[in-house]
Amino acid sequence: MKKYVLVIDDEACWGCKTCEVACKQENGAPVGVKLIAVMEDGPSGNGGKPAFCYRVNVCRHCEDPPCAAVCPAGAIGKRDDGIVFLDGEACTGCGACVDTCAERAIAFDEVKGTAAKCNLCRHRVDHGLIPACADNVCPAHCIYFGEPAEIRKAVAEKRKTRVTRHSELSSQNERTVT
Amino acid sequence: MPEFMYANIEREMERYGYDAVVKSHCRMCHGGCGVLVYVKDGKAARIAGDPRCPINHGTLCSKGLASAQLAYHPERLTYPVKRVGPKGSGRWERISWDEALDTIAARILGYKESCGAESIVFGYGTGRENEAVIYRIANLLGSPNVLTAGHFCYGPRIATSIITCGTNPIIDYDHFPKCIMMWGNNVTISNPDEYKGEPFSVALEAGARLIVVDPRLTRPAARADIWLQLRPGTDAALALGMLNVIVNEALYDREFVERYTYGWDEFVERVNEYPPERVEAISWVPREKIRAAARLFAATKPAAVQWGVAIEQQINCADNDRLLMFLMGLTGNIDAPGGQVLYKTPLIVNVGRFGAHHLLPPEQAAKRLGGERFRLANRFAIINPKAVWDAILEEKPYPVKMLFFISSNPVLTRANAREVYRALEKVDFMAVADFFLTPTAELADIVLPAATWLEMDYIGDYWKRHGYILPRRKTVQVGECRSDHEMLNDLAHRIGQGEYWWDTFEGGLDYILSPLGITWREFKEMDYIRGEVKYRKYREKGFSTPTRKFELYSTVLEKMGYDPLPRHREAPESPASAPDLYREYPYILITGARQPGFFHTENRQLPWLRELHPDPLVEIHPATAAKEGIKEGEWVIIESPRGKVRQKARLFAGIDPRVVAAQHAWWYPENKDPGHGWDESNINILTDNAYEGCDPAMGATNVRTLLCRIYPEKAEAGDRT
Repeated sequence: MKKYVLVIDDEACWGCKTCEVACKQENGAPVGVKLIAVMEDGPSGNGGKPAFCYRVNVCRHCEDPPCAAVCPAGAIGKRDDGIVFLDGEACTGCGACVDTCAERAIAFDEVKGTAAKCNLCRHRVDHGLIPACADNVCPAHCIYFGEPAEIRKAVAEKRKTRVTRHSELSSQNERTVT
Repeated sequence: MPEFMYANIEREMERYGYDAVVKSHCRMCHGGCGVLVYVKDGKAARIAGDPRCPINHGTLCSKGLASAQLAYHPERLTYPVKRVGPKGSGRWERISWDEALDTIAARILGYKESCGAESIVFGYGTGRENEAVIYRIANLLGSPNVLTAGHFCYGPRIATSIITCGTNPIIDYDHFPKCIMMWGNNVTISNPDEYKGEPFSVALEAGARLIVVDPRLTRPAARADIWLQLRPGTDAALALGMLNVIVNEALYDREFVERYTYGWDEFVERVNEYPPERVEAISWVPREKIRAAARLFAATKPAAVQWGVAIEQQINCADNDRLLMFLMGLTGNIDAPGGQVLYKTPLIVNVGRFGAHHLLPPEQAAKRLGGERFRLANRFAIINPKAVWDAILEEKPYPVKMLFFISSNPVLTRANAREVYRALEKVDFMAVADFFLTPTAELADIVLPAATWLEMDYIGDYWKRHGYILPRRKTVQVGECRSDHEMLNDLAHRIGQGEYWWDTFEGGLDYILSPLGITWREFKEMDYIRGEVKYRKYREKGFSTPTRKFELYSTVLEKMGYDPLPRHREAPESPASAPDLYREYPYILITGARQPGFFHTENRQLPWLRELHPDPLVEIHPATAAKEGIKEGEWVIIESPRGKVRQKARLFAGIDPRVVAAQHAWWYPENKDPGHGWDESNINILTDNAYEGCDPAMGATNVRTLLCRIYPEKAEAGDRT
């Protein structure tokens, strides 16, 4: 089955956090719980212009998700289409997934006492709708959803024309979610 | 599942069971983005960008997406109230619209009779597309005093562009500038009027070179080919230095200079006072970088300057604007495709005409506060705020008795906030229209519940200079809230202006559109209207200035008694202008860097947006922080000769160690004391508003660069014990 992919081209991100609010509007996560979060990276480097960019942190929907493996309640699962989902109803709030996620992409809702993460808007995707953060809200057009090869090609094309002088960052900036 | 496509309206409707979708036009900032509002059970349930809008192409920002959270906020004022306790007591009582407007009308007529119409000051904050009705009611009343942000925000761009080249040059992003110089703003997270982050992003993706002028490292600065990290307040010197390079290396457009400019020789003499070596000493920008930026900007065609408000909130406001226009003009980019275009608005009754400036009697116009001092501002019906506070506090040159502020929160947004607060405490009568009981509204006598953009019909981007107008369609009603246009239309009837107004404001919209031969109801069915786009119109008609030329040497400023050529002036408080003070206050303080999600004092009560910035932050270089014993995330005190406030330290290597950058407009809606913490973190407690420190022509208050000291709050607490 076709895999859904979310690609964030961090190099183009301005840090405007529109995606964070688009996610709030869609998923209603409470204050303090971010399913997608824009983080600063830098400034760093000595001499010359410091490197400074934003990195958008969101669940990677890993091939073999360690969070699912450690969940004692079986609340985290992976669908055939690649979406790794966390079922808040089934979650017992042990926090094992939060600790195990190397990307720190799982939040904890202190009020409900449950973990929460990006389910790639499966309730939209299943109806042929694009996830809220990727549905053309981003003024930098840096969040992509769709067929993996096509997106990577599109991003690579954009980078060719982009005048940015941070080629050393280019490859590591892209976050692919499959 | 079938293929995915952006903004799939049909599936959204089906999936969520919405009742309707309304195309409208957002105004969470100055306006400008096309939106789709999905409605369910009579309420706005989801906000999305309109992919067919030529401004934002379907994208939005965090503020726009949070619009429904504003509209339905539980603390929102949804009916008129009158104060029943002393000022600042927080005791309010619900009243009817009739009682509210009759009370305001009686006060207006009473003060006009006893003290003259000039004793009544109308006001708004930043442009919220209500300026046309506010000026109209004031001018028809005979009051020359409308207090806006216009002295130091956008008004200067309008005034200086009219006297230089006829109208405000707007970047032609549709034709992809090949070089963009972003000067003192960050269009990716805020909206300097016509411009949006989306087309800027697209231009960069298409390969535009980027120069950024900013004392702080922003992401655009980090992405730029050249970042000019200038000493705050030295923009004019830097621009003069770049012009010096362009002139002396003959990088300018010779034909444009010879045929279409006025005052070239005098201008060359002036720029020769600013060689890059001297400019380096003034601005801290290395001469080689000045040269490199000038060469890149002048050699790349088309090129554009992405400008904004920071350069205007300085003593050098008008000259900063003019100098950036000179950079556009001399490089041949004015009115060029992909450069900066003097767009024509559609054929409508324009804002100036609607504002009825021509109906203000000359003898009343002559009474405009500060008009003799700030003569360029006066010509554009703009006043300096201190002139109003002085007229209230000192009753000079005459007493101001009444204020009517619409979408304005001056105790937070105007300089020398304690003086502003004293004036609002003293004024005889004050009416406010706003969404919430803000710290300013808490000092009012009557507060009216204002409609958000979701609740009004209006012509979006009416006052903009990009040539578009777009319908803003009323989607919902909240409580008894009314649009600024409707409430003033109603009030106008109660003060005897009925013949100039309409039964409902739909009549006003029809009037604006009448030259096009369409009505509001017809316009409502359209996506947008744009004026005819033509390039290099000056080749046929010249520029709309007294000399018909692009005025490097301003004949208008000369007639007003000002230096006709731009120059660098030191900020009133800088290491160079105030060395003694600098020893006591050893850091340069800059204020007002924008935060995505907030619009000046707004949105701090909206959970989705406050979550982005829970606390006010002051940026300090790590080396400076170490020297002052300040740690990341710790509350610090920032102090100037006017007072002190607290913000949280953010250690940030993207700023010069000699500079600290504080956020502006902070208050705490969650603080239920009627002051709502207005003086806790409000950076305008520190800023000064003395006339001598304002731009001599525009009266722009310098709120952007001053001197301060900074130290940990706990050190202060320790001192007291």
